[in-house]
Amino acid sequence: MISFSDRVRIDGRSLWSRNAVKGVSLRGERLKKDGKKEWRQWNPRASKLGAGLLKASESGLLPEPGSVCLYLGSGHGTTISYLHDHLCAAKNHLGGTIVAVDISSRCIRDLIKLSKTRPGILPVLGDCRQSEHISPFLSAKVPWLFQDVSQSGQVEMFIHSCHRFLAEKGTGILSLKSASERDTGSAFEHAQRSLLEAGFTLVERIDLSGWEDQHVLFHVVF
Amino acid sequence: MQLVWDWRLARVYDEDERVLDESIWGGVRTKTALVERLTLLMNGRMTIEARTLAERFPEIQVTPPTSIDSWPALGDDEIVLLQDASLKLAERGVADSAADSDRRLEHLVRALDEARSSQNSLESHLVEWAGLFLPTLDLDLHRSSIASAVSNSSNLLELAAGLDVTAAEVELGPHEWSGLHSLASSTVNMTDTVDSMEKSVRELTNTYLPSVSNLLGPLLAAKLCTAAHGRARMARLPASTIQVLGAEKAFFLHLRQGTDPPKHGHIFQHPWICRSPKWTRGSIARMLAAKVAIAVRVDHFGGEPWTSKQVSEVEKKVGEIRARRSRR
Repeated sequence: MISFSDRVRIDGRSLWSRNAVKGVSLRGERLKKDGKKEWRQWNPRASKLGAGLLKASESGLLPEPGSVCLYLGSGHGTTISYLHDHLCAAKNHLGGTIVAVDISSRCIRDLIKLSKTRPGILPVLGDCRQSEHISPFLSAKVPWLFQDVSQSGQVEMFIHSCHRFLAEKGTGILSLKSASERDTGSAFEHAQRSLLEAGFTLVERIDLSGWEDQHVLFHVVF
Repeated sequence: MQLVWDWRLARVYDEDERVLDESIWGGVRTKTALVERLTLLMNGRMTIEARTLAERFPEIQVTPPTSIDSWPALGDDEIVLLQDASLKLAERGVADSAADSDRRLEHLVRALDEARSSQNSLESHLVEWAGLFLPTLDLDLHRSSIASAVSNSSNLLELAAGLDVTAAEVELGPHEWSGLHSLASSTVNMTDTVDSMEKSVRELTNTYLPSVSNLLGPLLAAKLCTAAHGRARMARLPASTIQVLGAEKAFFLHLRQGTDPPKHGHIFQHPWICRSPKWTRGSIARMLAAKVAIAVRVDHFGGEPWTSKQVSEVEKKVGEIRARRSRR
């Protein structure tokens, strides 16, 4: 058994997180009792961060429990729920905050529902390209920033957001889908070069093939 | 000197990040009040406190709070308040999207397409099925009236009498007749659905895209706007893109494999193009797309909507192109 933290571990071949809302399975994932604790299976096919955890060889992909995190492109909140398990735990007794930004009102709608049962999640309906949509919700730079927006120009967006919102020595994770860029062939190489030029230290480039094709996670430190 | 503010307070710092002046939100900190403040900030505006300080220190430089290391952290009460307010704000944002004409138009156009195609297939099933029992009926002539005739009759003989033909000599079981009858009612219903949706597309585009809809007709205007992912984006598209909207398959085949580029996409449906001789269509589509690009900008950026005057000018140009290219 490999543990990433008290609340996230690999048991057998699958990834599990301590369920912060006992008895509730969000997307029909398996729940497993272990004494008083309840573990919720983290499907790597539905979550790029989950796939990243399974395939990464370097540690430090997850934020420190109880910290403030910025998640750009939150989608319907699947990954957010696991992040919440890890960062906030039941009734947010760890005191973490996830600022979850998405431009789609359909996604935010699902996220609102999620944040009502999981305090610590701040749903923000806004454009990740516009920092004034995000900054009112942060009072300091964050130690952990994740971006998964699947739009063209996402690397530049990531660099810009990190300069604005990521603390020094903070962890930045960019989920890149090659099909979102114009030139799909060299998209990953090009992204890596841009990140290095922008002054990031590349910790690891995690290829998600097997779980999510044509996707990589760039794990960088600012 | 720099001016920094968030929803709680505003401060003036000197070059060494020492606080020179400060103004704190003194009002009652309710959720509703905070929602208003957050909205202000999300629009890039100043809070009252920030404005007070900005008046005291004119020509001050503005800096975001995340760039200041010593900016005060949120207290426990403030965290809870911010959480509640952001939830409320997000809910309001979701509710506001109902007023978004682009979204409404998108749903209407997609649902209308779907409704029309199912109306068509229901009708053709019904016509063939009912026609089986009415061998002497001219199906092409009565195609559109068969559905209502069946749904207004209570048996086969009555139906035949209503349409003034003789019925085939078969015994229809009660279930077979009721199946036929309810298929007919569904067809009639579906026709009504299509009608009312078309009316509502007309209604919406006449106010949302008046110029484009004057030029192309409301249904085609709606279709183009949806294909462009909204009016704001359509107003920023070049005319050449508007010309091939809806012909993406042919267009990308052209880019990838070098086949001939498409001359027209959805815009082909306009009678000026589809009723013109084949060799003039490309030119007309190019000219018309250019006019559409102007019209949508007029609509989006609040210009004077086009009337029949501008449309007849475009029509004149269509005539000129047809005349110019008539001999070939």
